[in-house]
Parts: sequence; structure tokens; C-alpha cells
Amino acid sequence: MDVDLRPVRKLRESAAARSALGPIMEAVCASPADLARLRLVCDWIQYKQNFREAVVSRPVADTDTEIAFDLRRCADIDLAAHVKEALSGPPGLTLEPWVPGRDSCIWRFNQLYWQALSHWEQATGREYEQSLPGGESDARNTEAARELILELFRIWDELDARRALPEGLYVLELGVGNGNQARTWLDEFVQLDRRHGREYYHRLRYLMGDYSPHVLERAHQAVAHHGERVSALVVEATRPAVTLGFLAGKAFLVYISNVYDNLPTDELASIYGRTYQVETQAFLTEDDVEEIAGRFGTSRDGLVPLIDRLLRIGPELLSESSPAQFAGPGEAVAFWQAVWAALRLRERYVPLEGLDSYQVGPSLTGEILRPLIEGQGDVRMHVNNGALGSFTGTLPLLHPFGRIQCHDLFLTGRQQYRTGFYGPGKYDGSVVNWVNGPLLQLVASRRGFGVEFTPFRQRPGSNIVTLTAQARD
Amino acid sequence: MTLLPTTVVGSYSVPEWLERLKTEYYQRRISVQHLTEIHEVAIKAAVKDQELAGIDIVSDGELRRDNDVDYFLARIPGVHIPQRAKTDYFDYYDAEVTRPLPEHPETSLGLADDFRFTRQLTHRLIKFSFTGPFSLSRRIRDDAYTEPGELVRALARRLNAEARELATAGAGLLQIDEPFLAGYPEQVGLAVEAVNIVTEGVPVTWALHVCYGNRYARPSWEGHYDFLFPAVKAARVDQIVLEFARKGLDDLRLIRQHGWDKWLGLGVIDVKTAEVEAAELVASRIRRALEYMPAGRLMINPDCGLRHLAPEVARQKLRAMVTGVALVRTELTEGGKT
Repeated sequence: MDVDLRPVRKLRESAAARSALGPIMEAVCASPADLARLRLVCDWIQYKQNFREAVVSRPVADTDTEIAFDLRRCADIDLAAHVKEALSGPPGLTLEPWVPGRDSCIWRFNQLYWQALSHWEQATGREYEQSLPGGESDARNTEAARELILELFRIWDELDARRALPEGLYVLELGVGNGNQARTWLDEFVQLDRRHGREYYHRLRYLMGDYSPHVLERAHQAVAHHGERVSALVVEATRPAVTLGFLAGKAFLVYISNVYDNLPTDELASIYGRTYQVETQAFLTEDDVEEIAGRFGTSRDGLVPLIDRLLRIGPELLSESSPAQFAGPGEAVAFWQAVWAALRLRERYVPLEGLDSYQVGPSLTGEILRPLIEGQGDVRMHVNNGALGSFTGTLPLLHPFGRIQCHDLFLTGRQQYRTGFYGPGKYDGSVVNWVNGPLLQLVASRRGFGVEFTPFRQRPGSNIVTLTAQARD
Repeated sequence: MTLLPTTVVGSYSVPEWLERLKTEYYQRRISVQHLTEIHEVAIKAAVKDQELAGIDIVSDGELRRDNDVDYFLARIPGVHIPQRAKTDYFDYYDAEVTRPLPEHPETSLGLADDFRFTRQLTHRLIKFSFTGPFSLSRRIRDDAYTEPGELVRALARRLNAEARELATAGAGLLQIDEPFLAGYPEQVGLAVEAVNIVTEGVPVTWALHVCYGNRYARPSWEGHYDFLFPAVKAARVDQIVLEFARKGLDDLRLIRQHGWDKWLGLGVIDVKTAEVEAAELVASRIRRALEYMPAGRLMINPDCGLRHLAPEVARQKLRAMVTGVALVRTELTEGGKT
């Protein structure tokens, strides 16, 4: 039996975490599991809202089993009972077949959150930014914006001196939220430009891209005072080139804040020298099924179709089409929130025939992962397919002197996967996964871009990391 | 020579598996002997691909070379490369010279052997390309010469010796590539001076290729070819090979404006996109060029090397190019314009 204790910092800090180890071992040894074919994994899941029970089991191919514990929740539970329950099979109501992580219905919930954000916010009485750590998007930080703008001025001055500055100075923001970050940035730009005296503002083309027309509209209103300097475009975050092909080679700055951690991802794992894909299946526990079905006047069998309808048409249309069940959008949102809170994921490890048989994205095979996952012992990591699609689709948009600046939850070294839990978790109604920084670094490197990670200086202690990508050589 | 001869600029598609093997060599997972054999097999396939596509003048695909610079710098006596390990084969070495390059080294760069290998593979004409002294110098930290042009000239002299060996080995068409020149337009005079050192006394057909860079299938610079003229007219070469497919054909005006009376290698295939050109598009580009150049001084090629294109895309693009050329050849023959 292999034992994988990941939350090394918590083990030092938390007596409760340490004291759980003995009982965990007792519970596992008392279980009927074949200890010779058992892996034992301990995490510390920092997200109070997440997709896991305190104890879960995961088949490894058809031969081995992994039992995973959330040390944060192991102190006060009957571990033997939880281990037995985890090993006893798949109870509950499944919402989907086994699928790769990126295809899970949790991403439909995630998409619904952004599409019906106003309804969600109305129900909770708070804006989504308030659910972020620190209570606001890091992109609103004026000091960070100022630093970036002054660097742009420096580059533009240099290019202008060589008569190489194009007429249109393009800046792109992907994932615009409520527009506050754009407003902060543009307002700061106007002030700095006045002081700089080169009238770059009149040549500025600030493009706001988001996949939600509703979000775009709201964000656009926030920067209405910047008039024609700003354009809003519906952009599929994971495939920016579809909409933004015209921008190839022109963008001096692509600004992305807290987007990548919210895009679909698979996970791959290397166990005993073999590579596996993590497949997931969303489900509700029997207790939750009973509670939700009873509360919203439906049957167990009616629950899955009802959830599917919610995800297809959203809370507003759901309440309009089922007024007897949902008196208004608020009730439909309550149903949505109840299902979301109860939503769980079970997992299994499916062997990959070879890394090149795994498709990270349309034009990228798993071969790119080899330096990260091969020969590194047992490791499980995110592929961040959505973020990679977005990132690789954005790189070609850059002007030779352009850069991507991205504030997000990045891992900056692959060894971090051995020492922590990086998702999925729930942020309000959305999904969060930390982003595999070394993978982005590797992919960028193969395309001739250098990637650097720096702590987000404007908010010390934050988990947010700043990624900067620009052409090298 | 056939009317509107087709050729390549130099590099050929590097398949993903070959990239992996090249990198594995640097990670000490395969030996230099195995890598050499792998390269030879890949070169045979590249030559065969070009023949099957109908290319008149083929190349070895530059498949032994990690990139456009390192193969040469690693072999030029006097160029010091402190760290030869690479994370990825395509990365550039950091190279330096700390004292003037030896003027008469006993070892050659081995380019003639590379040519001989290709010669035995095909009966077609061969274009053999190598990176020019100006571009090579851009990747060398110069702690040896007080005047920067001296390093360029020293490299040129070294390449001249290599060109002589290539000519002795039977090379008939040599091409100097200057992919970095567009980034330093003010130094075109120095670059041309160095080109003339390279070509001095080497009795072959000389081509000079100037593009806007093709590193990672991206242009490194933007602009127009104005900077080349009239300086390039002083270059003792028989042909300039320029990119037009990606940038458009506007710069053809320079050919007329400056009275370029030698051959032009017309780039008709954009190597920075996987989108395969229609043969008719290729033909239309050639027809447009014929407004500026007689057919008898026009050679048809892609904009630049094909290294970043997937193998199948490269094959399709070459086929499209050959088909497009055939359309124009027929028109010219039937119209009696030859």
C-alpha cells in the first residue's frame, strides 16, 4: 500500500490533521479492501464548497483502488463508516455517464452561472466579486494597472522613435466581469496619458471580450464614458482566434484576470509509472436527492430531466415554463443553488494508451505533457484544457512587442502537485481549478514565448500569481 | 532549365516525432549515432516528398539542423558555446567569441558532406542553403572584435571556405539565408558586403534569401523590402529569394523601380499558416509577378522554409505550388509568351 500525504504544510500546522492519520490507517486496515492493491491519498481541501465527500474511493483501472481523505473533515467523523461507504459502490443519483473532467456537467453549471449571473446575485444579495478572495477582482487594482500602462508607454515611445508604431494601439481584455477592471484601467490610462503627453489615448482600441452578451453589456456600460475607444465582442474564451483572428500580431497587451481558473479542465495522473486520465461522474447523494426533490415538488426520476432543463434554459425560462413548480426566477434559482450545493463528483483512473493518444486540444496532443508527468513518480495534475486553448489562441494575437498579462491562481512548479489540493472547488456558483503554470510555460516555450510568474505584488499574501508572456529570441 | 522552375527555400517539415527525438538527444536518451541515422532517414523522406510533389530543385530539408543558427555556430572554430545542453532542441545556443576567429582552420563545417549525402539521393537539381554571416553574427556575443562588422566579415570568410568545398563537391546552387537582416535594415550595407565575401571566387549560382523571420512560424519583424534596395544590387548573387505570399505583392514594385535585372525567387506559399493555397491562387500570384519580371528570370518557391508546417500540409502546399506553376506554364506556352 502506498500512502500519499500531500498537504505537508497543514500537517505541520494542524494537530487535527496529524491526529487523523492514525484513525485513517485503522479504518483502512479494518476495511475489506485489498491492502496490496490500495493507494491511500490525503488532501486538505481548502474549499468549503467542493465536489467531494470526506472519504472517497477511486478505481485505478480495473485492478487497484485509491482511497482519498480530506483531512480537513476527518477529525470528527466515523472514518470506518465513511471508508466502508466509499468502498461499497456508487450510491446516489448520477447526472451523467463517466466523462473526462472537461466534459462534466459541472461546466454547464459554471456556464449558467455566468449567463444568469444577475439572477444568482439577486438571490444571494451580493455581487460575484464579493465571493472572490479579498472581495474584489485583482484587476481593479489601480497600482497594477498604472505599472502596466507605463510599461506600454515605454514600448510605444520606442517604436514611435523607429517609426514602427502602428496607428491602432490594441489592448484586449478577456473575461470582462462587470467592467470594473476595464474602467479602472481606462480611467488610469487617461490620466497617465495626459501626463505623458503623447496622446496615445486617441489611438487606443480597447477590446472587451467575453462569451456572455449579458456580461458584456453590463461591462460596456461601466466604461461608457470612454465612448468609441472601447469595443465589446462576444468571444469564446477557449477559442479566442475564432472571433479575434483580425487581431493577429496587433495586440500590445492582452489582459486576463481570473479567467483561466474557471475554464474546463481534465486531470491526468501517473501511478506506478503508468499514465491515466481521470474520468468523473457528477451525482447527488440519496439524502440530497430526497431533500431537493421534496423541496421542489418533483420525484427522484424527475430530478435529472429538471436539472437538465435548468442548465439548458436557465432559471428565468424555467420559472416561466413551470410556474406551478417555480413561482418566479427566484424559486428556480433556489433550486439551482440547492442542486449546485449538493453536486458531487466521483472519479476513476482510466489508462491512456500513450500520451500522444490524448488530445489536449484540437491541435495539441498529450505529448506536450511528457516532461511534466513522465519520470516524476506518482503525480496527478490538471491539464487546464480550456485555459490552454485560450492561452495558445491568444499568443498569436500579440504584436512582436506585445505581452499577455494574466492574474490567476497558477501553480508555478510541478512539485506543488505533490503538496496541495488545487481543485476543483466551488466559488459561489462557479468552478475553480488552479492552473498548471509549468504546462503553460512549456507550451509557450514551444511557440517561442517566454513565461514568467511573479507574486501579485499589489496584494501581498494573495494566492494570485501574475503570468507574463512575451516573445523571446 | 524549365520555365518557371519550382524550388524550396530550404527547410522542410519537421514532424512532431522528429522534434521529440531531437530533444531526446539533448536529454541523453539517444546517441548521436542514432540521431544521425534518424536524420538521414528523414532527409531521404523529405527529398522523396519534394520529388513526388514535382519540385524541380530540391533540398535536404535542413533536417539535421536544430534551427537556422546553431548547426553552424556549433561547428565554426572559435565560436564558444558554454552550455550545449538544451531543454528543447529548437532553442538557440548562447554563443560567444572571445578572440578573433581563426582564419585558416583545419576543420570544415561538414556542409560538403551534407551535400554529398543529398546528391546520391536524387537526380534533380539541388539547392543547398546556409545561414549568412550577418544573421549568424546576431546570435553571437562578440567580445573579440572592436568593430562589430569585423565579426560578420570573419564569419563570411569562414563561409566562403565552406562554399568553395561545396562547389568542389558538385553543388551548383547555393543560397545564403539572412533571416535576421529585416530586423536591422540600417545594416544592409554590411550584410551585402559580407555576402560578397561569401560568394567570392565560388563558381556556382548564388541565391540570397531575405525574409521577415520564421521563428516559431511567426514573423520576427514587419515592414517592406524597401530597405534592401538599392544596396542589394551590389550583392554578387544571381537571385534574390523574397517572401510575397504572406505580405502581399506590393513590394514587386521595387523590382521595377530599382531595375533588378537578375533572377527573383518568388514566394507564393505562405509558410506561416496551415491553410493550403489553391493552385489558382498560386497562379494568380505568378501572373502578377510576370507584370514586373520576365518568366525567364522567375523561380517559384514558398515564402520561407517549411519546417513549422505539418508534413501533410507541407506536401499539399508544395503540390499546390507545382500545380499553380503548371497552369501558368501552359498559359505562357500556349500564348507564346516565352
